[in-house]
Amino acid sequence: MGAVVADDGPSGVKAPDGGWGWAVLFGCFIITGFSYAFPKAVSVFFKELIREFGIGYSDTAWISSILLAMLYGTGPLCSVCVNRFGCRPVMLVGGLFASMGMVIASFCTSIVQIYLTAGVITGLGLALNFQPSLIMLNRYFDKRRPLANGLSAAGSPVFLCALSPLGQILQHEYGWRGGFLILGGMLLNCCVCGALMRPLEPPKKPEATKEPAEKKVKKKLLDFSVFKDGGFVIYALAASIMVLGLFVPPVFVVSYAKDLGYPDTKAAFLLTILGFIDIFARPICGMVAGLKWVRPRCVYLFSFAMIFNGFTDLMGSMSVDYGGLVVFCIFFGISYGMVGALQFEVLMAIVGTQKFSSAIGLVLLAEAMAVLIGPPSAGKLLDATERYMFVFIIAGIEVTTSALVLALGNFFCIKKKIDEPHTKEEAAEREELNKSEDKTPEDAKVDSIEVEQFLKDEPEKNGEVVTNPETCV
Amino acid sequence: GPDVTTQDLKPAGKENPSNVSVYEIVLSGVSGSPLERNISVASPTKVELSCKLDKNSQIKNPQVTWKKGSDTISHTTKSENSWSIQVTILDSSQLGSYSCILKGKQEISAVFHLQVPKIEGKDKPIITYEGDAAVMVCKTDYIPIAWTWYMTNGSKQVAINDSMPAKKYVINRQSANATRLKVLQLTKEDGGLYWCEATFQLGKSKGKLELKVLSIMAPLKPFVAIVAEVVIFVTTIFLYEWYSKKKEKRAGDEREFDQIERL
Repeated sequence: MGAVVADDGPSGVKAPDGGWGWAVLFGCFIITGFSYAFPKAVSVFFKELIREFGIGYSDTAWISSILLAMLYGTGPLCSVCVNRFGCRPVMLVGGLFASMGMVIASFCTSIVQIYLTAGVITGLGLALNFQPSLIMLNRYFDKRRPLANGLSAAGSPVFLCALSPLGQILQHEYGWRGGFLILGGMLLNCCVCGALMRPLEPPKKPEATKEPAEKKVKKKLLDFSVFKDGGFVIYALAASIMVLGLFVPPVFVVSYAKDLGYPDTKAAFLLTILGFIDIFARPICGMVAGLKWVRPRCVYLFSFAMIFNGFTDLMGSMSVDYGGLVVFCIFFGISYGMVGALQFEVLMAIVGTQKFSSAIGLVLLAEAMAVLIGPPSAGKLLDATERYMFVFIIAGIEVTTSALVLALGNFFCIKKKIDEPHTKEEAAEREELNKSEDKTPEDAKVDSIEVEQFLKDEPEKNGEVVTNPETCV
Repeated sequence: GPDVTTQDLKPAGKENPSNVSVYEIVLSGVSGSPLERNISVASPTKVELSCKLDKNSQIKNPQVTWKKGSDTISHTTKSENSWSIQVTILDSSQLGSYSCILKGKQEISAVFHLQVPKIEGKDKPIITYEGDAAVMVCKTDYIPIAWTWYMTNGSKQVAINDSMPAKKYVINRQSANATRLKVLQLTKEDGGLYWCEATFQLGKSKGKLELKVLSIMAPLKPFVAIVAEVVIFVTTIFLYEWYSKKKEKRAGDEREFDQIERL
């Protein structure tokens, strides 16, 4: 293997779109669940930590922030690791890290130690699991990829609904130390999911067995050339703006209900409604995005989902009673599910399989700042104005702005044409030849979705050309 | 909306120059269970308790009596539709339940409970482990003169003071209205009920906490079970993969063999 990139996402392999892919999807589902629901599950223990260490609430909020920062901010690092070592080893190591962090945290004697263990180490472990799982999903699914993305994204609300009560039970039975220990054990299941990620190997042809290392095209450890893709830049920008306001309403809707005078249980039920609708919205949206006439325009479907979400926020800001909040939660659940199901599907469609491993790392890094700024600044706004209305309005504005950036950017900057098969063929051949040399920026503008689809449709022609430039006839 | 009958009543917002807090209950005239209010008093003060009749009520010009327990209070003031009394609280004997009874066609009443402030303990038990340290905190809204901690030994309450081993218990005043007890080197016998008692100028008030001491084995059993499950799954998955690769290779070799045979 040496210093050559080990994992270049063999594009010569046709995506199975099923078979072992379902096992990969299952693993992805579980890892998505852990990654998104874990910060929430840990927050159940904060009250105890406050009492035991004599600290304030904002000190414990740091744990969540550090977890999020590691999940999002270590994106490029994960990309480099995946490109260097391959998906499965990185995931297995990630699972061990995540578990180890919590286990060590259960023996800690100061809050700073908990920041380092439950925050940094577990966060890093989860990140090393989450990104490669998406990359593998992208490799195993092509025709059914939107559905696969929707199904795996459903892991997030399912685990949110499951881990919170579980966290309460653990805290009640075992206190925070025992709870952390058992949560650490549960995180080891990420290793099981990692084991499921069987690498895809190109079909072995008799001649090809003679060529070991040099047939692999030299690929950078972190492919910054994605920045030359206009679609990617627009997506990254839009995603960062969106994340500023996307996660804010669920955080504040419960306190909004309590502020209006409703009892705790009724207020908490709002989140249950939201989560329940989210569980179903994601796979359904995935199915819709897979429809023949929707798929080439899934970027616009994504923009629509974001506009829907922003609009819901703006309407929700005006609700004055429980019924209004319930309606808000229902529509927010639908739009939030759509966004969740589509966000990585659209990125996969824009940059394609080859570059996805680098692209997702860079996008997550871009979102990291916004994720860390968004909810706390909304909290500050709430403290300053004492009105929940403004928080929802700002969130709605942010999400709608990102939708407009995405839609208009794609409409004006990227020329999207649905070509005939002949012209597609030309474009594909040009693409492949350029892949073996340095890619020129103009070709990046070629409609990558159409090309991707075309490439996947004709594997036989594909197999020899890309991986073996010397034998290219 | 939330149930307000047993809420701690804060002063109605009117503060006279003589620093008297006014507490008011509005009666609607519908006879049912008496309306009650809890008022926390920590130090000597003057309070004015007032019962106001709702303007939509059917009762007109009722006969009003104020009572403390069963004794009638004579010095009452009336204004428009409200009747009030002034109570000067100097020591614990002035605390108790004060009720106003409005007699018209029906009899309706309201009760003010003047009492020492309640202490916030913890209703759920605190879980700790052997060898670890436990931290118990008691808070209240008012500032007590002193705090005392008690532990239960059998059925007796034993005060935690200097007669106890110094290395075991550490009490410090976390802030003006909170106290913290730290129990070090926990053993199973340290589990049970603990009481924190706040001494106010007007009396004492207790809060309850329960401590549970578990052994390390308790969470370790589920943990080991999960680890075992993970190891079994991972091994099974890798074995299955190795086995199916072997099968594929054998099938591929057979196909090659057939091809060569045909040639």
